[in-house]
Amino acid sequence: MSRGNSSSLTPTDDALIAAIRSGDERALAHLYRLHWPMVSHFVLQNSGLEDDAQDVYQEGVMVFYEKVRDGSLELSCQIKTYLYAVCRRLWLKRLTSKSRFGVRLLDDEEHGPYLNTGAEDDLLAAEEQDRRFATMSEALNHLGEPCRSLLEGFYLLDKSMQDLTAEFGYTNADNAKNQKYKCLVRLKKLFFAHYKEEPI
Amino acid sequence: MMTEADYYALFEAYAHGELAGPARANLEARLAADPALALRYADFTEMTGTLRAYGQRQQARQQLRGIHAAMLAADAPEEITPTETKLTHSVNPMLRISRTERRLREFWSGHRATVGVAASVAILAVFATLLGLDLWRSYKTEPSLYGYQALRREMAKLQRSQRALKESILTQGPLPTPAVNNGKFSGTGFALTSEGYLVTSYHVIQGADSLLIEGRDRQRYHAEPVYSDIKHDLAILRITDKKFAGFGRLPYAIKSGQADLGERVFTLGYPREDVVYGEGALSARSGFEGDTAFYQVSIPVNPGNSGGPLLDERGNLIGVVSGRQNDAQSAAFATKSSYLVRLVDSLAAAKPAAAYPYHLPHYGQLAGSGRPQQLKKLQDYVFVVKVFE
Repeated sequence: MSRGNSSSLTPTDDALIAAIRSGDERALAHLYRLHWPMVSHFVLQNSGLEDDAQDVYQEGVMVFYEKVRDGSLELSCQIKTYLYAVCRRLWLKRLTSKSRFGVRLLDDEEHGPYLNTGAEDDLLAAEEQDRRFATMSEALNHLGEPCRSLLEGFYLLDKSMQDLTAEFGYTNADNAKNQKYKCLVRLKKLFFAHYKEEPI
Repeated sequence: MMTEADYYALFEAYAHGELAGPARANLEARLAADPALALRYADFTEMTGTLRAYGQRQQARQQLRGIHAAMLAADAPEEITPTETKLTHSVNPMLRISRTERRLREFWSGHRATVGVAASVAILAVFATLLGLDLWRSYKTEPSLYGYQALRREMAKLQRSQRALKESILTQGPLPTPAVNNGKFSGTGFALTSEGYLVTSYHVIQGADSLLIEGRDRQRYHAEPVYSDIKHDLAILRITDKKFAGFGRLPYAIKSGQADLGERVFTLGYPREDVVYGEGALSARSGFEGDTAFYQVSIPVNPGNSGGPLLDERGNLIGVVSGRQNDAQSAAFATKSSYLVRLVDSLAAAKPAAAYPYHLPHYGQLAGSGRPQQLKKLQDYVFVVKVFE
């Protein structure tokens, strides 16, 4: 299952991955549009709604997208199959959490062997990442203003220190920076306090 | 002494490669030497990394939402997409759907397969049960049609072959005479007119290839069916032999009206080789399952009695024995003679100047005499009808 085993990848798959990695938004949009009907059909067929389908699909594409951006994607099959496997897995999880009974999924035949696509491992990693992000979000919420806005502005929204200085009314950029570091220290306490104590 | 915030400033500068050579080397050396510092640095990188990744994730999410919305917007004008209306199974462009209906639709779309399976199982079960019950019931009562048994006699094949064998042993030397074919079924018949018409039950001659009429005196005639009334189980036969010279005057009259309840009735028939007398009363003026073309009589009858005459005390023919009910004690049925008269009338009307006119006997000769005398006169006009298939 190495990246070298790209014989099963169609040339367009390769091109798409390359384009997405280089940050081409149109490539991502194309990919999204290409496989949406498949996943939407799958979810609708398995007692899901349109909104569920959208959630699941965006989650799945997100997993794929982040792996591509990292360069850590190890694709042993077509993107289509990979996405199907990921979304199938995600939907199965949601269904089992909702239902008291065992869940059986109706599968489209054409997507056959979706178990060895590496999707399982990727999903585990993605879940871990989700948990981390959830903790971070919580920590940010507990941080309070103006620290939260300052950090969000700098890290999440990629604003420059000059802009933030002006926005928050600091006398100069160094003041703002110092404030940011103090905020970071507080965030660190909150973040690690929550993150570490949760069982892995 | 540096505060943690100061360290963060230092770390950030280091991570961005903004530190000058010596300071950088100094920090690297300290990181290598001081585990606490190294941990602090690791925490710092992890936290900032997470923050940035979190930002990226949010951006990407936003982007995907945008893509999805754009996709829907692009699709919408072309067709009524399911994504647009949230209707997954309606083709009709509906303006508005109530919440209940939407719920129902969702339920239906989710459980369609289950509902289908359940429905088909239910239908199958119902029909299997009904069919099974019906089969079971008909299997139980197979010998008769729901308790009704038509009384034509099936000749015992075994007995016949045994007798043939015995005869062949006894005769030994000479060529054994071919065993007499006694026919497959037999019933009773009686004379209708002196010209050679006879009456029997339709079910006796049903499927017959040829018919043989045999009297008490072993006199045999060939006969052919002239007319059959399946509904009332009646058949009219005619003797076709050239040498047949007619029955002579019939001793009984055929009653065209109805007989009364409780009348003493009797019959003659051939349930076995010899003629058998049976006596009883008319117990009902309707037959099996209320069929008004039949009487119910309390005469013990057996297979072979079918087609026999049913007479009242004065020797008038009032019916033709047809069948019995298996699950009732001594309940036999006989076609009313009025139907026979009607049948003959219609035949005569259809063929007014036929070569064989119907002259029904109108006056009986049996009234007043005792039963043995009656039977003596009667038995010459009652025959075995043998049926060959």
